[in-house]
Amino acid sequence: MEAGIILRFRIPWNPNRRFSPPSPSLPVFIRASSTSQSGSSYRGPKPTKNLVADFVSRNDDGVRSLPIYVGGASLLAVLFNRAVSGIAPVADASSSQSRADLLALGLAVTNILTGLVWLSIRPKTITPVQPQGVECEVVNSDLPAPIVSEFIWAWDSLSTSTCCRSLVIIYDGICLLQIGMAAESPEDRRLVTVNTDKLMKGSVYKGVMKSGAQNYLANLSLYPGRSELPFLPSNTQAVILQPLGDKGIAVIGGNTVRGFTSSDQAWISSIGEKLDATLGRVNLPRYL
Amino acid sequence: MSIQVVNLLPLPKFAIRSRAKTSAGFGRVVARADNDPPRSVGGDQQQLNLSVLRFTFGIPGLDESYLPRFIGYGFGSLLLLNHFSGSGPTSDAQLRSEALGLSLAAFSVALPYIGKFLKGAGMTEQRTLPEEGNQIFAISSNISDSLKEDLAWATYVLLRNTSTIAVMISVRGELCVRGYWNSPVQMSKAQLLDWFKRKVDEIGLSDVKDTLYFPQNNSGSASWEILSEGTRSLLVQPFVQSTVGSQKMDGFLLIASTAEYAYSDKDRAWIQAIANKFRGPHELLAVT
Repeated sequence: MEAGIILRFRIPWNPNRRFSPPSPSLPVFIRASSTSQSGSSYRGPKPTKNLVADFVSRNDDGVRSLPIYVGGASLLAVLFNRAVSGIAPVADASSSQSRADLLALGLAVTNILTGLVWLSIRPKTITPVQPQGVECEVVNSDLPAPIVSEFIWAWDSLSTSTCCRSLVIIYDGICLLQIGMAAESPEDRRLVTVNTDKLMKGSVYKGVMKSGAQNYLANLSLYPGRSELPFLPSNTQAVILQPLGDKGIAVIGGNTVRGFTSSDQAWISSIGEKLDATLGRVNLPRYL
Repeated sequence: MSIQVVNLLPLPKFAIRSRAKTSAGFGRVVARADNDPPRSVGGDQQQLNLSVLRFTFGIPGLDESYLPRFIGYGFGSLLLLNHFSGSGPTSDAQLRSEALGLSLAAFSVALPYIGKFLKGAGMTEQRTLPEEGNQIFAISSNISDSLKEDLAWATYVLLRNTSTIAVMISVRGELCVRGYWNSPVQMSKAQLLDWFKRKVDEIGLSDVKDTLYFPQNNSGSASWEILSEGTRSLLVQPFVQSTVGSQKMDGFLLIASTAEYAYSDKDRAWIQAIANKFRGPHELLAVT
């Protein structure tokens, strides 16, 4: 039997904050600090705006094809210039005019090629998939308050900074936390809770515990062990399984294929170590 | 001509570009594996997994993305040479060609700079340690053990997961300082902390209301003598505790790095998450 009650825990800060510059809720990349600083005693320098960086970041596609247009237009301009001045369009280096034209042509070609290189490395955007399920916050009722606030902090960090939409923490055989989106059972349309026994007997859990290392399933639909995680929404795209020491596991579900970057993985393993250190000190009553 | 599929997999930020050493004559083009960790910019949460065919001369130390700049300088000077070595008066047509060529050259010179801000541009520099500055780790002793542990963990994680070389966290006036700082040597921990507190008061860092990000070493950071020489990026993140009415600052987090543009949007989101850990009421703060 597992004990758990649904608690509505919300630390009083902006719960709808989502990681998306340039939304005004997050400080924008290099902006002169908005001065509500009358009466402030901060005497240091203020950051300056970088117009080029802002412009390029906002008009990424346009800027990528810009060199092509510049190069192409110059090419035509050179030929037009030749035609208008009545000189035969012969590419030899005999006269000054020809040499100047050749150099301009060379530069135009360089620009066109650079534009093509920029276009070729344009990243493909993968759209996030809205998870199907119910929103939940299930926290084990025996946990002391500092642990719960640490869990809530971890959940807020993950959901704001990464594409994480579901978080499940299991420690010492007990499901301590199930938060975010969870699967909805079709029979009674209620939350699918975590069956820790079943999970711990499965190969997914055993593999992670044996290796002791984080396991990143970048595209969950390709993974046969998907059936061992029935509590996650059915269309969860990516999952990170983070072991918490050798006694627990954190299951982190995301809404984008390959949505967790390597920096996210590093941060998640650091958070895993911290949670393990914190939980290791707590004496959890066992109901098994 | 050898071609190799290049995998620009995201790697930890301190990876160096590995280049094949070849004796490349001009015109022999060789492809090599490039470990450029791409940087994620803009509203894109995903770090970019790029597999790109890239041609290179194989000359160590030559960055091919700067090729348009070299070509711009080279052809621009050839154009000027052509202009001044021509015999007789230069015709209108030639002047037009040369004007076009020079503006194209200027544009080509600017291309690598613009390309730095595009998504997927591998703009990372290797994290280097500053030559001067001593490595210190000091935590104020007036705080509870759990807060000390949190501070130690947070500073450790910031140093490990980002290209940070120096961290300072201030919670209600109590400091934790870690990393390479330009502090006087031969000071005891308590004296060091007092020295830092005085410096912080001088600059007025406790009153910073918005996040300040200095991605390049502007002349402003010269006034921060506590930072070691060679600091390029600086980020100050205040902890905002908005009570009803006024916004009280609970403290701040200051990190510095020797790389320019060291903190991408994703890094800043995680740094904000770490800062959030220290927000809010601290019943754990021992009152002396």
